[in-house]
Amino acid sequence: MTQALRRPASAALAAAAATAFLGLAACGAPDSGAAARPASASASVPGGAPADDGPALPAAVGSTAPSNRVTFVPERVVLPGGDSAPVQPAVTRDGELQVPEDVQHVGWWDGSAHAGDPFGNTVVAGHVDSKTEGLGFFVRLLSLKKGETVTLRGAGGHHLAYTVTSVRTIKKDALATGSAAFDQTGDPHLVLVTCGGDYHRGAGGYDSNVVVTARPKGLAR
Amino acid sequence: MTARVLRRLLTLVVLLGATLGLAGLTAAPSFAANEASLYVVQGLPGRSVDVKVDGKSVAKGVKTAAVVGPFKVAPGARKVTFSDGGTTLLSRSLSVKARSSWDVVLHLPAGGSTDPTVTVFRNDTSSVPRGKAELVVAHTATVPAADIRVNGKVLFSNIANGQSLDLTVPVATYKVAITPTGKKSPVYLGPVSLTVKGGAVNRVYALGDPENKTMNVAVHVLATGSSGSERPEKVDTGTGGEAVGAVRFLAKLTR
Repeated sequence: MTQALRRPASAALAAAAATAFLGLAACGAPDSGAAARPASASASVPGGAPADDGPALPAAVGSTAPSNRVTFVPERVVLPGGDSAPVQPAVTRDGELQVPEDVQHVGWWDGSAHAGDPFGNTVVAGHVDSKTEGLGFFVRLLSLKKGETVTLRGAGGHHLAYTVTSVRTIKKDALATGSAAFDQTGDPHLVLVTCGGDYHRGAGGYDSNVVVTARPKGLAR
Repeated sequence: MTARVLRRLLTLVVLLGATLGLAGLTAAPSFAANEASLYVVQGLPGRSVDVKVDGKSVAKGVKTAAVVGPFKVAPGARKVTFSDGGTTLLSRSLSVKARSSWDVVLHLPAGGSTDPTVTVFRNDTSSVPRGKAELVVAHTATVPAADIRVNGKVLFSNIANGQSLDLTVPVATYKVAITPTGKKSPVYLGPVSLTVKGGAVNRVYALGDPENKTMNVAVHVLATGSSGSERPEKVDTGTGGEAVGAVRFLAKLTR
């Protein structure tokens, strides 16, 4: 059950002004007006009203502890050697992740973890190539090696570096069911996905995905 | 660990369950006009509190760890007054913007004073990723700066009275414990089992005083809706065949 509580704007403004004044003057000291009030004062005397009718000290406003984790939506991926590409949010439609058409851009699955989240994989996928645009940015995944560094960058200068822990080729039909690529409950990882395996012209292209898994080096900044 | 402490932990688990039942899932705020929503979190141990907003009674006999609301209010400076058995405990003002949502928490300050204080927290009701929950832990107890351990890991560190920390977590049941910053003991609270609700902000307030064995939690769950698309079945990221050479090269390397 909700209840509407309203009062005239002028009264609210007056109360706000009075509150601001009291906040400056009182600083946590007992209400001096109430303390100085003579016992004989009637209700009509200013300052003689019950405690909850007058202005009140401002409540403390809760703050975020400085140790709060930084998390961010990836906007750029930087591969070893410094090559980087823009990362755009990508949605799943009819079961298929819709990676950007531009093969020089890659897509972050919008249902996956933000960089810096304590649980779940951050999934970034991109084209290895396309019929119209040639080789894609993520063709570079094919030459990534264990131990190399991949960095995600986000708005506000946030960034998180990851160490590559594995590069695997997984049959496309086993990616969702037979691998942990999309897991959102385990320890956080960065998972980069592109295509690989055997290429069958006219039969759906590549038969596998190349999946790079990387572990965060500490917390996001 | 003494039997007494064990009993206490058991009581806490039961209390937490009861609290979740009491608090339940508050209705998603439907801001018909420009109203703001106030929720009151009663964090004073051993008291039953009456609440007024701008002088009007909105709730009576609110028990420890209960969450009441939403109370819809006009934007601007609002005043919340708490009393117990006709005696005013304190009044505090807060300034609310149109369509904002606030938890107004009545609690004990840090450091052993028994004078109640009020801290207000603005609720972020933006949508939460599908299958996940937003977990906010706020420190409104008497203890010094503390760590919050989730499933044994410190996920929230060095949090002081009046501060909160937030995380996006998968929907699951977590074991939550509060310990002094950088230490495993004494355990101020828990571990208690907390099942977070998906598509919602789960706000957990640590309250009370371990000296008097009144540590407890209040839980406020606000539905927010979900964002993000479902888990893919398939990722098709190559149609050209130009990368075939590179793909074969990789196959050789990883064979």
